[in-house]
Amino acid sequence: MLLNRASSGERWRIRPDGPDKVTGGLAYLTDMSVDHMLYGLVLRSEHPHARIKSIHTDRAKQLKGVHAVLTYLDVPGLNAFGIAHPDQPVLCEERVRYVGDALAAIAADSLAVAQLAAGLIEIEYEVLEVVDDPERALLPDSQQLHPKGNALHRTAFCRGDVEAGFKQCIHIIEDIYYTPRQMHTYMETEGGLFVPGEDGRLTVYSPTQHGFMDRMQLARILAVPQAGIRIVSSPIGGSFGGKDELNVQPYGALLAIHTGKPIKMHNSRWESVRAGLKRHPMKIAMKTGTDAAGRLLAHQVSILSDTGPYSTLGAEVLNFATEHVIGPYRYLHLDVNGVSVFTNNGMSGEFRGFGGNQAVFALEGQMDRLAEKLGMDPWTFRKLNMRAVDDLGPFDQPIVMTHGADHVWAAVAGCPLWQERNRLETTMDEKAEPWIKTGIGAAFTMHGAGLGVGIPDPAGGRLKLAEDGKIEAVFGYEEFGQGLLAALEQMLIEQFDFASEDIRMIIGDTDIVPDSGSTTASRATAMMWKSLQRLKKPFSDQLLQRAAASVDRPVEQLRLGKGGIKGADGDELLLTYKELAAAAGTPIICETSFSFPTSSTSRVGAHFMYTYSAVVVKVEVNTLTGRAKVLQQYHAVAAGPVVNPQGYLGQIEGGSSMALGFALLEESVMDKGHYIARNLDTYLVPTIEDQRGLIEVEAIEHLPEEDDYGPRGVGEVGSVTVAPAIAAAIRQACGKWVTKLPVEPSLLQEMPFFLRKG
Amino acid sequence: MSNKAVEEGVPYSLHCFINEGEESIKTAPSTRLLTILRDELKLTGTKRSCDIGRCGACMVLIDGKAVNSCLAMAYQCSGKHITSIEGVALQGIDYIQQAFLEEGGFQCGYCTPGMIVSVKALLDDNSEPTDDEIAEALSGNICRCTGYGGIWRAVKQAVERKRQLLAMEQKEELI
Repeated sequence: MLLNRASSGERWRIRPDGPDKVTGGLAYLTDMSVDHMLYGLVLRSEHPHARIKSIHTDRAKQLKGVHAVLTYLDVPGLNAFGIAHPDQPVLCEERVRYVGDALAAIAADSLAVAQLAAGLIEIEYEVLEVVDDPERALLPDSQQLHPKGNALHRTAFCRGDVEAGFKQCIHIIEDIYYTPRQMHTYMETEGGLFVPGEDGRLTVYSPTQHGFMDRMQLARILAVPQAGIRIVSSPIGGSFGGKDELNVQPYGALLAIHTGKPIKMHNSRWESVRAGLKRHPMKIAMKTGTDAAGRLLAHQVSILSDTGPYSTLGAEVLNFATEHVIGPYRYLHLDVNGVSVFTNNGMSGEFRGFGGNQAVFALEGQMDRLAEKLGMDPWTFRKLNMRAVDDLGPFDQPIVMTHGADHVWAAVAGCPLWQERNRLETTMDEKAEPWIKTGIGAAFTMHGAGLGVGIPDPAGGRLKLAEDGKIEAVFGYEEFGQGLLAALEQMLIEQFDFASEDIRMIIGDTDIVPDSGSTTASRATAMMWKSLQRLKKPFSDQLLQRAAASVDRPVEQLRLGKGGIKGADGDELLLTYKELAAAAGTPIICETSFSFPTSSTSRVGAHFMYTYSAVVVKVEVNTLTGRAKVLQQYHAVAAGPVVNPQGYLGQIEGGSSMALGFALLEESVMDKGHYIARNLDTYLVPTIEDQRGLIEVEAIEHLPEEDDYGPRGVGEVGSVTVAPAIAAAIRQACGKWVTKLPVEPSLLQEMPFFLRKG
Repeated sequence: MSNKAVEEGVPYSLHCFINEGEESIKTAPSTRLLTILRDELKLTGTKRSCDIGRCGACMVLIDGKAVNSCLAMAYQCSGKHITSIEGVALQGIDYIQQAFLEEGGFQCGYCTPGMIVSVKALLDDNSEPTDDEIAEALSGNICRCTGYGGIWRAVKQAVERKRQLLAMEQKEELI
């Protein structure tokens, strides 16, 4: 189904959080304030790498209006955080390892006073050599950033004998692909409000993708029981993975506890840039070979990932990249190695696509180069080597069987934009300026959902008939713009036949919601859907049984409907939900908890469920300026049933725009550990001018009849295949292969014909 | 006010009109309008993001023109009529906001108030904008979520509604 407003009919709905968003009425957590609050500020390192000889805070503390200046000495519990492995200091003691490293936290009457105080803190550093090249960082003579050395994590996967495989190859392509340090650029920078309660509890209003993970980490830092902390974590002005790890929370929490007063924090953009996560820059070397007919025989990959100073999810991102450089293709011989390296560059971490974007850019680049070498159509070449329906996954692990790969492949093969490609090769647009060149390219992916084998991945939720007659849907997931509330509301309406007025959705509050796992890895919609499937019968049964007693009719003659209980064969309202709630009896609550389904393999990180997706793009290259412009896009996505058409379309369009930035514009350039671009005047993300072309999204909903896993996630796939498709289109347009992102305009510039010598 | 007074932050009383109400605010002359709106008046619909006039999240109308409120200082607002997103919705959700709702022209919504203010400034001035004019008017508003597809659809729908509204007004005048 080509997804748009017309084809969606009544399923195209206004989001429940929409009216408050378009009127400015919605209070984001960084919009909150209370009387007598103080302003929190973090003093960060002047150097990317230095030993701390001394920190003196006396002068800052004496400044009028300053309430607290905290250093590592004031951290009562574990002075470190990190989702997977806590090795990032809350406040540095002996050493700083990047320019975002925190040394002191200040609370003052105003932000201006806090900034003055920051200037009065005296720190004596011994500057150390900056380790900014991940390759050099691995050499034995490099400065070691952590006790176990500079390699955070290594991966390997082998099948067959790759050297022997290459000996049999007729065609071999070898290339090295580079991808940039991309910035999330969520429009709402990190911040929040931290309120100590009279009962000794701390309430944290600060965006995160996993409130319970924050609560656990903060309890560890503050040395208090988890029950002593309440995390309120939605709504969020964008995250894309960037707010999953703790950011301002440790400082706001410490300052609130120390001063006994509410603390407001809201990072400036520069603060956000220097301290925030970025997409892991990767260098991916690939050697891939085929036989004479074009069948893949051998594939050898080496991934080098710059993880920056601390772990966060660097190892997990590398695992994901390792899986996705293998991807949906069949090889007899395979040898993949990866290493994630500590450096003094900025923090790398979780970012939409989770290492898949880098991997797929390289892998699909290889496929296009091989096809060209063979003189084959690139899509035909992919089909020849693509996984079959019942093939194992990239790590030879059992995966959920679908026809997704076939369907996506066929959708692209048949779409008008791909067919136009073949015409482009033979016809030239005579109206176009001679320096404008056009090309069409495509790329494919299978993208894993969920956290994978070996990582706790809980899911679940709760339905309740509240006292006021509202049906409460309670989940531990977060709304950061992706449309989770809209998806949840739509599922409740369509699966239970409730009206939107009957429903109250509650998310993002650790005091109320069950731990449903992290809102990440394209998992939330799938897990809410599964939860509702599991809750549907028990919850409906209880409601109907209670109703049956009230209206004195057999259960079989009743059904759930808009506003209340109705007769099974009519639309007459017999009992409102409010009346039902008032009927005496035990409260009606159903809860479910389970885990994201995983593959029966021991390979950590291997996935079980995948979304299949491909994109075709038409690109115009101006060979005078070297700028490439995306004119048109066609996305085919096989992710099972469309839960919310508007949200689905929005996620693919939005992911695609982010990938366009990754391909053509964005890079957080660093010089010896320092960021060059500090704000959005020099770090450029796509604007409306960059996104003027038509984007079509074909949603392939088909799943095998016995498949009960339901909808797959679409939060990430829209961002994964755009860059390699652009690279392929550039090749067709002007004959140049792109290996480094973002595409450097000088690579595409040509001497204009009128300047060439006759 | 002299530059010297501005630099020294001499106590200053700003008189202006915000969302149709008359305001008198004691502040420094160099205080940013963004700070006045968000921190002093608690009008948090105007969003803070880049603080340098690049992203448009804090866009407001000053005498009908779209201005980044992070770049407008208190003394520059003296006597002016300022409309923030809260002012756009004074009489309920307006046709531009409705178009954004129906077409999915937002996701996280953080850029949305500024985006809508920019569209309002455009359509108040030019009810039949070309695509180039739309792109130019919104090029100062960054949205990281939607990919701009929904925003294009919303603006197109708003243009159509504006056309209908104008036609209805003309009809009423004729009657």
